[in-house]
Amino acid sequence: MLILLLILLLSACTGAETTIQIHNDTEADARKIEEVILANPKLLQAVAVFHNQDLISGLNLKTFSRFNKEKIEKDIRSALEDKYPELDVTVSADLKIFRETTKLLEEDDKEKLTKQLEKLKKLLREET
Amino acid sequence: MDEKKYAALEESISPKPPILRNMITAFITGGTICLIGQAVSLFYMTFFDFTERTSSNPTVATMVFFAMLLTGFGQYKKISQFGGAGASVPITGFSNAVVSAAIEHKSEGYVVGVGGNMFKLAGSVILFGVVSAFAVALIKTILVKLGVVSW
Repeated sequence: MLILLLILLLSACTGAETTIQIHNDTEADARKIEEVILANPKLLQAVAVFHNQDLISGLNLKTFSRFNKEKIEKDIRSALEDKYPELDVTVSADLKIFRETTKLLEEDDKEKLTKQLEKLKKLLREET
Repeated sequence: MDEKKYAALEESISPKPPILRNMITAFITGGTICLIGQAVSLFYMTFFDFTERTSSNPTVATMVFFAMLLTGFGQYKKISQFGGAGASVPITGFSNAVVSAAIEHKSEGYVVGVGGNMFKLAGSVILFGVVSAFAVALIKTILVKLGVVSW
């Protein structure tokens, strides 16, 4: 019983690979964002939504990398702005943004998607 | 008997506080309060439109509310007795200090009694908090001007 508990606890310590989920309904090349995300060892998961002229990316960082959250966000944002100069890039490591962006992956209604993306960008601008 | 002799005598006969036990209980109590705070924060992020940054406001208000209830029902003092600094350092300790003082002075009236004495304990927390925030901001401004750090 104790060994089982120990195995369960230690299973979280194995090096998890970065994964990315993408929703793309534009002509932008999604492979470029995959290269950027998969090359960063500090990320656990990422989710990206391409829609109209917007790219929203939610990041889930590894535990100890959360201390450098803002720096990692800034680095990824500038890398994506270089790769996609024609798109309005929004990157956030905020848990709420990550979860909401994950929900958008299955959204088929384009109008709803546009509204949700605007809502997410508005949420990110909030200070208090 | 002079002061120093008295101090030495007092130190020799006073019971030694169980420092390690106090540290462990403070850790457990403070950790539990913070765990509850994190759960409240996650609740606001999941069921309302709050981000990690903006959820701190309602979380703090909720924790103050919980501590207010516990103080009013006479339970917070038991948590403080067990946890010591682990119960007084978080925001719940501040809430307990203000509510306790308000309850204690209610018999003297709302304005002079409650209003005049509510911040008896918490006043110094606010004062030294504001002074330290000013000092830290000043140091950071100087470091930014020198180019050592950025905003």
